[in-house]
Amino acid sequence: MMRLRCSVFAVWILALASTPLWGDNYIVHLAITIAMYSTLAISWNFIGGFAGYPSFATSAFFGLGCYVGALTQRAGLPVSAAWLCATAGVGIFAGLFGLIILRLRGHYFAIASFGLVEVLRLVISSSDSLTGGGDGLNVPLFHGGPDFVARIFLAVMVGIMVIAFAVSILVDRSRLGFGLRCIEQNEDAADMVGIDTTRYKIVAFVLSAMFCGTVGGAYASWTGYIDPTDAFDAIMTIKTPVMCMLGGVGTVLGPVAGSASFLLLEEFFWSHFLAYNRAILGAVIVIIIFFLPGGLLGIADGKGPRASFRRSLGRWLKGGPVAVP
Amino acid sequence: MKFVSRHCLWLAFASAIAVMALSGAPAQADDVIKIGAPLALTGPLAVESKKQEVVWNMWVAKVNASGGINVGGKKMNVKLVEYDYQSDGQRAAQLAEKLITDDKVNFLFAPFGSGHTKIVASVAERYQMPLIACSSSAETVYNQGFKYLFGLLAANGASNAIIVKYIKTKAPSIKSIAIYGRDDVFPKSMASGVAEAAKAAGLNVAYNNYYPVGTIDHSSGLSAIKAAKPDWIYVTGYTSDLILIRKQMSDLGVTAPVVTMVAGPAYKEYTDALGNLANGITSWTWWHPAVNYQGVGVWPTTQSFVKDFVAKEHVEPDYIHASCAAAGVILANAIERAGTLDHQKVRDALASTNITTFYGPIKYAANGLNEAGSIPIIQIQNKQIKVLYPDGVKNADLELMK
Repeated sequence: MMRLRCSVFAVWILALASTPLWGDNYIVHLAITIAMYSTLAISWNFIGGFAGYPSFATSAFFGLGCYVGALTQRAGLPVSAAWLCATAGVGIFAGLFGLIILRLRGHYFAIASFGLVEVLRLVISSSDSLTGGGDGLNVPLFHGGPDFVARIFLAVMVGIMVIAFAVSILVDRSRLGFGLRCIEQNEDAADMVGIDTTRYKIVAFVLSAMFCGTVGGAYASWTGYIDPTDAFDAIMTIKTPVMCMLGGVGTVLGPVAGSASFLLLEEFFWSHFLAYNRAILGAVIVIIIFFLPGGLLGIADGKGPRASFRRSLGRWLKGGPVAVP
Repeated sequence: MKFVSRHCLWLAFASAIAVMALSGAPAQADDVIKIGAPLALTGPLAVESKKQEVVWNMWVAKVNASGGINVGGKKMNVKLVEYDYQSDGQRAAQLAEKLITDDKVNFLFAPFGSGHTKIVASVAERYQMPLIACSSSAETVYNQGFKYLFGLLAANGASNAIIVKYIKTKAPSIKSIAIYGRDDVFPKSMASGVAEAAKAAGLNVAYNNYYPVGTIDHSSGLSAIKAAKPDWIYVTGYTSDLILIRKQMSDLGVTAPVVTMVAGPAYKEYTDALGNLANGITSWTWWHPAVNYQGVGVWPTTQSFVKDFVAKEHVEPDYIHASCAAAGVILANAIERAGTLDHQKVRDALASTNITTFYGPIKYAANGLNEAGSIPIIQIQNKQIKVLYPDGVKNADLELMK
């Protein structure tokens, strides 16, 4: 099964990476966006999928990565070093913050992680002298024509995505992944049988932050201009878990499948239904999650949509929770 | 077997959507000039962005009804290609790239506001695509060395000294000012600009702070302003912020002889939402239906534009309506002078623009700002917008608030 998944992933990566050969720059832009969100979704999966902690901190890490990357680049560091700084900086931040926030569970954790996005946005927005506040920051634009720039950033984003995916496989097959799954099922029981839950959770939280930081740093160099509202975007922080749910929470390939299908659907709906695109997209997501509680990968595992629907309907009629994977 | 066929069905469904999403490039017609417009039709900037959509469609219909734009002796029709970027900066950049590479538009109109204009301008610059911005006047957008960006609104920098001088002359009793600005590109530059101008003119800046984007409870800022007892309160933000702040000022009993709010009172929505509370508020506008210009383009006079607009929308146009309609006029003029759709030549023609339109005179400085524009001072009196300054178009005098 794992070999099959890896080959599906390899084919998908090839499809994304080859877009400059067969598509125009709009397609390449879409491929870069897909790679970017795939990395965010894979990252979220470490804490939200494996450990079952509903984190809404994705844009906090992404935004912080944007600002660390932009500021270090403006201070004169070469681009790649700036991205490494963004990765390390965000990772360390998540480690320290995780020490505090991971004592909370369930809804409380979700709210605290979402609060992080807002707090960071306000802090960055009011640190005028360093971050430019609401004026935003200009990042030195990449030299070279649009085709060249698009190819560079496609390579970078797909590269980050591949690394994140590889780490995700390693975690999935390691003791860490096993421990996180135990935490997801019953944290107290996991603690009882000797899993150092605090340490495991912090490692998962740091993993879920690091790649968001890298992606944020690369995004800042790509667009050339960031401001607090775009960097700490509340919609992004909600989109990412939705993508994972769409694909299959807690699986290796789920986040990749989910983010790709979500973005392609989104792209399709707004280009064809100018006025109602958001409403239609929302309805489609609700329907998919309602009928496919195991995500798109649930189909591949033999839990067909019809069977899932019957189960969901049965639970609903009995008054129980509907979308339980 | 059943399992396999179900699989195939889903695969087919997914790939059909993928194909539809990725394809869909419309057929290219050679005799049409395509202008791309990323619009924020949903999200927080929807109200402002719909204004752009209305007048651009009006302009396109008007141009096409008159036979099109003369490109080197050949009359060409205009088509607007618009998308909704949902008030989301990332998506604005993505859509600008789509418009340029996928829809292959000839020129671009910038979205509403200085922040998103800046994002789209960096994409346009990369593709060397002329971009006309009708709703951004912050100098920080134009000081990036962009060569393909051309604005319409006059720069707000110089205007701050004018309003400070005006208020000081008309109301000599005013000694102190409190400034409360939205921490966002344009409103922030307005707030910081007026603070400097006030200091230079010898006013005491009793309070000077920014509120973050999305703030809905202004009570702490307003209480601090109340405690400072300023003679003049100067608030910046966009329409929805300013309506909220005005209401909360009234709830908390924050008053001053002069209250200035930018940029919102110039829009009809502001007075509609506030009723009598809007009375007495002073503001800027970049254009007002009372001005009277004669110029080039499909609308030869200010009155002809106002008449067309009122016939279609049943309200008076505000400055965003006018400047965005004028964006079309300027672009058409530059294309006719260039005699081609070549980006570089049209860009050069835009740079050398020196014309008068129904909106006012247009002449570009090296950074792409319209240096010929003016910024009238207005006050809402009896729920009507009255022009206080400049003298040429003024139809009322400053009234102090109680």
